[in-house]
Amino acid sequence: MADETLLDMLKRRGISRRGFLKFCAATTSLLALPPSMAAAVAESLGRVRRPAVIWLSFQECTGCTESLTRAHSPSIENLIFDAISLDYHHTLQAASGHAAEEAREHSMKADWGKYLLIVDGSIPLKDGGVYSTIAGISNLAMLQEAAAGAAAIVAIGTCAAYGGLPHAKPNPTGAVAVSDIIKDKPIINVPGCPPVPAVMVGVLAHYLTFGSLPDLDALGRPRAFYGESIHDRCYRRPFYDQGKFAKTFDDAGARDGWCLFELGCKGPTTHNACATTKWNGGTSWPVQSGHGCIGCSEPDFWDAGGFYKALSTPVDSVTGAATAALAVGAAAGVAIGLANRRRKARARAEHQTVTIEDLEK
Amino acid sequence: MSAMELLLWARGPGLGIAIAIFLFGMTLRLIEIYSLGRKRDLSTPRSQSPGSGWRTIFARSLPHADTWRRSALTIVAGFVFHIGLFVVLLFLLPHIELIRSLTGLSWPALPTPLVDLATVITLIALIVILVHRLMDPVKRFLSGFGDYLAWTVTFLPLLTGYMAYHHLLLDYTLLLALHILSAELLLVVFPFTKLTHTFTLFIARWYNGDIAARKGVAS
Amino acid sequence: MNSLKNIGVHVVHVGGNGNARAVLRELETLLQKLVEEGEESSIDLSGLPLTPEDYDLLEETLGEGEVVAEVHSLGPTRIHETGIPGVWWVTHYNDEDEVLAEFIEVAWCPEILLAPEDDVKDGLEALRARLFELNQEGGHG
Repeated sequence: MADETLLDMLKRRGISRRGFLKFCAATTSLLALPPSMAAAVAESLGRVRRPAVIWLSFQECTGCTESLTRAHSPSIENLIFDAISLDYHHTLQAASGHAAEEAREHSMKADWGKYLLIVDGSIPLKDGGVYSTIAGISNLAMLQEAAAGAAAIVAIGTCAAYGGLPHAKPNPTGAVAVSDIIKDKPIINVPGCPPVPAVMVGVLAHYLTFGSLPDLDALGRPRAFYGESIHDRCYRRPFYDQGKFAKTFDDAGARDGWCLFELGCKGPTTHNACATTKWNGGTSWPVQSGHGCIGCSEPDFWDAGGFYKALSTPVDSVTGAATAALAVGAAAGVAIGLANRRRKARARAEHQTVTIEDLEK
Repeated sequence: MSAMELLLWARGPGLGIAIAIFLFGMTLRLIEIYSLGRKRDLSTPRSQSPGSGWRTIFARSLPHADTWRRSALTIVAGFVFHIGLFVVLLFLLPHIELIRSLTGLSWPALPTPLVDLATVITLIALIVILVHRLMDPVKRFLSGFGDYLAWTVTFLPLLTGYMAYHHLLLDYTLLLALHILSAELLLVVFPFTKLTHTFTLFIARWYNGDIAARKGVAS
Repeated sequence: MNSLKNIGVHVVHVGGNGNARAVLRELETLLQKLVEEGEESSIDLSGLPLTPEDYDLLEETLGEGEVVAEVHSLGPTRIHETGIPGVWWVTHYNDEDEVLAEFIEVAWCPEILLAPEDDVKDGLEALRARLFELNQEGGHG
């Protein structure tokens, strides 16, 4: 099945060319491309062979898969998923056990060098990677084997992109990101905890349509969706600019929709599409619901100070260092003071004169 | 190192190191100064004016008429800079939050646009001060590395803070990291430059007022 | 639980944000291109932040024309010609009546209404096959 074109697949499903045009128009809109590009999208999609996709789930909470399978505008997502040949998905096929594993190995061999590898979850490295295994194979080994034959890798979720929750202090399983292990294949990071469903679908749609990676930023995220910070698109931004901040949840300021900076919003340093694309089919997003952004699409957001402590506060406590510094400073001060006194006494005893150098010190 | 890693370091270990060096340095300097002691004045005081030292701390804030005549620009620019700096440092909400997390103290903030205006005024005052230092022959002659260093470490946090708030030039995460790092640089350099005047000025004024009172010129 | 009812919900009427007028101005440019150069184009409405007031202004200004059409493929697509001939409002829905995409097309006829060339060729074959069957029946009946 992985050899027919998308158009063939749609025809097989009884969808006419008009339906195909509709699909292309919606995909163009989803990719935030101008409508004039719909013809190019249609031409590309009409030709493209259904890429084989292998989805590996490692040390994750399954939130990314949950988010994706809840993606709204179901026809498009369904179509895209039908458009790809999802040969293997760990969690969705978990019940199939050995048969699923055989299917995965068969698919990898059949499409070696051409399949798209999607990974969610971090990869534990400690103690030989025993903390997460599937069918007795460590995540590390499975990733390395699958990546060797992949055309490209999509690291979905902050865990796969940057290590995520397992990577937070003290990182007991030695969790790392996909990009920490695979260095010789193109990787698209689609972070978020979980990522916005429309973003996940948009990235897959881009790869499906153009067969190439979208424009990526310094952290490997598609600029089309992660190019702007939450702060820059936040509808509460006028309140930030005016200095109107909510002091506690549900106080007068909070009810008037004032900025949530004091309540720990990490919007200014977070890049994601939540403020424009929103969640649950455009229903709302954390700030609109009155909760500050937790910065879930950024690396190490779990260790970035508390979710409810402002962005300007320190990440760790400084009392320890401060007390030690005061003590050492006092001791040093006393020691130097005593040394100074002794030098002064000696100078007086020896009737030393004051020179210009002494005064210039 | 990405901008986010730099920011997390600045908000984490960087801050600890900077505060530690600052406290170590200031404690050291203050004890050093105090332990020098002063020679016991065995003469009888010319006037009994207790509290002259304390009064001088405030009285010295108002310059003498002669000083006005000779260096009005320095006085005005100096006052504008210092008042502006305190407004920015102590009345911007994110700064108050920082102080609250470190000490538990907090107070109401000023509207951010006001503080933004104060920042601009403070930056301009600093530039005026620098230009005057470079153009006035006496000041230029007296100025050394320490003076220019102190000016730079004071200017940078104000500049980077302004740039961060207005999203000028660079990515916000990077600007915020640079702002916090520049403040940490200021803290680290502080005890080893003339910036210690922030604390020693009170000691100096008190001593001068007290000794002047003993010699008959009470405040 | 009555405290939940006391949580005030502040309904703010923002009015339009000016984007409706921008769309209308762009439509003018595109319609001029259609008239002078015969070039067809469209505007993607989901790419713009439009408040309900903006939509109302667009609908009021454009009005309604003579043609209403519905295409059934992958769910309904509803098209109506606006009061400005050549300006068509096209809304694509999925099977659950959720909006997939929304465009304002400036064209002689919206593309999706035209019969696709391949389909017409296939249609000719299909018609010939049906005529053949009819003839067979006619011959026996």
